[in-house]
Amino acid sequence: MSLEGFSYFKEIPKKLYLMKKTNHNKDKVELMIEIIQISRGGSGGVTGAKILADAAMYEDKFGYSQAIPKYGSERRGAAVEAYVRFDNKPIRLHSPVYNADHALVLDESLIDRIDFNTVSRDGVVIINSTQIPEQFKGSGRKIALVDATRISQDLGLVLSGFTLVNMTMLGAFAKGTEIVSLGNLVKAIEEFWGEKRAPKNVEAAKRAYEETKMVIA
Amino acid sequence: MVVQFEKKSMTGNDAAAYAALYAKPKVIAAYPITPQTTIIEKLSQYVDEGKLDAEFIIVESEHSALAACMGAAWSGVRTFTATSSQGLLYMAENVFWSGYGRLPIVMPVVNRCLAPGWSIYQDLQDSMAFRDAGWIQVYTKNNQEVFDSILQGFRIAEDKRIAMPYMPCLDGFVISHTTAQVNLPNAEDSFNFVGEYKDPVIEVDTENPWIFGGLVGPEKFNKDRKDLMEAMERAKKKIVDMNREFGEYFGRTYGNGLVEVYGDDVADLTIVSMGTIADETQDAVDLLKEEGLSVNELRIRTFRPFPEKDIVEFAKQNNKFLVIDRSVSFGHDGQLRIEIEAVLKRNNVDTSVEGRIMGLGGEDVPYTKIAATAKKVLKE
Repeated sequence: MSLEGFSYFKEIPKKLYLMKKTNHNKDKVELMIEIIQISRGGSGGVTGAKILADAAMYEDKFGYSQAIPKYGSERRGAAVEAYVRFDNKPIRLHSPVYNADHALVLDESLIDRIDFNTVSRDGVVIINSTQIPEQFKGSGRKIALVDATRISQDLGLVLSGFTLVNMTMLGAFAKGTEIVSLGNLVKAIEEFWGEKRAPKNVEAAKRAYEETKMVIA
Repeated sequence: MVVQFEKKSMTGNDAAAYAALYAKPKVIAAYPITPQTTIIEKLSQYVDEGKLDAEFIIVESEHSALAACMGAAWSGVRTFTATSSQGLLYMAENVFWSGYGRLPIVMPVVNRCLAPGWSIYQDLQDSMAFRDAGWIQVYTKNNQEVFDSILQGFRIAEDKRIAMPYMPCLDGFVISHTTAQVNLPNAEDSFNFVGEYKDPVIEVDTENPWIFGGLVGPEKFNKDRKDLMEAMERAKKKIVDMNREFGEYFGRTYGNGLVEVYGDDVADLTIVSMGTIADETQDAVDLLKEEGLSVNELRIRTFRPFPEKDIVEFAKQNNKFLVIDRSVSFGHDGQLRIEIEAVLKRNNVDTSVEGRIMGLGGEDVPYTKIAATAKKVLKE
């Protein structure tokens, strides 16, 4: 058998399928929401993505969700991506999110790790910061700003030198996007953390929900 | 009767651990390896908290893990372990021993590629390397099916007429570490389905000592191998029956248990695949249908025993197959393609078969890639 007949040597070029902004699924199923998150290992991003998926499951309009941590580099301090999907039926996609509706930036210094050309211009970018990052100024993007690091530190949500901003940022996500209610977010946080550890985490989400500022960059 | 569920979000590994918890194995012996680790982590926690009354044997390697499970299975109790990749390879001797020894062990394999190059991501090279080991192999497509397959697996493996180890395979990370919804029945209903392991396929009896693995001549040897082959045939029917019975009890089935068809019964092109690629393929089929193309899907759920009859029947009405493999037999081709071509040929079905190998070493296979490949194959 010549190698031409061999299954391994017949790949189609990437340009035939990795189309930017295909958003195919969204045209077909308007409801599916895709989210990309960037954080530093140790700040709780992977757990946060899971809890966000839990909260979406409680939403009547969704009911189904998915949280995909991108493993491999989950060392403390390293950049860690995670992806979340919400839908109103079981999700059959298993790929990372290529074209996100919303983006969560848990650490502002990692903002360039996300290619914002692939993030919907109608979506919200939720950033752990007090001001609009330079590259967004004048872009017209919807930005949700929250000083998550301060809120979490005020509440003592620090572990091994890392500030746990995950729950705080989810509060900001609920406020910024309004696609997940604070009530369902709190329910998911309580379910995950249990009686003993939930209160501080719930408080972090609630405070962020109140303090998040929506701005058009 | 269809039982009540609670919809919960959990990772595929959590789903595997829940299924094991509810089936109440008496012995678990395991060694951690990424991406399997969180299954046995959870189970050791359940044992520690007293939720699961099992002997949890901490071993120094995968080889010993399966050896301990074999001892437990010989003593006639329900036995569970799990592994991945290099760990499965390290077990190799005992994987074949427990398969040819007809020991009803349930062992999920969380699929991860084989080194070198060193990688922790998914492909099917690890479990496919053990397709000749005398184990039942089921390739799952999502978190729900992981739970469901493990519950079914104990019933299938522990049936005296089958008496065979059962390997449910789940893609590393894309199932094992991805959170998604699982309709979780309660512990009681789950255990009612699995039932007590009352009539062991083998049981050590100190009053009546046996030799396990003694020397045999060619005649007995070949009889044992033919018995295994016949049991594999019976396992097909058992898997179909279990799938149906599971459906009556839990309200969910996976095709006929051996294969699952998505889309129209007849189409210009059939995409054949396994695991999560097969789940993603359903979105590709929908996309192509919107574009006016006639494409359906045949998911091979059970790879061992190989569902020859089901594939042949389907192929008689479908003229062109695109088989996607996530593993390679070097020097030949993708294993699924090789086997599909073989069964079509010996049944004189002239469905043409195109093959593609995708997703090795954790390479993502988005539905857009499956769809674009299908379009190209359709034009050829």
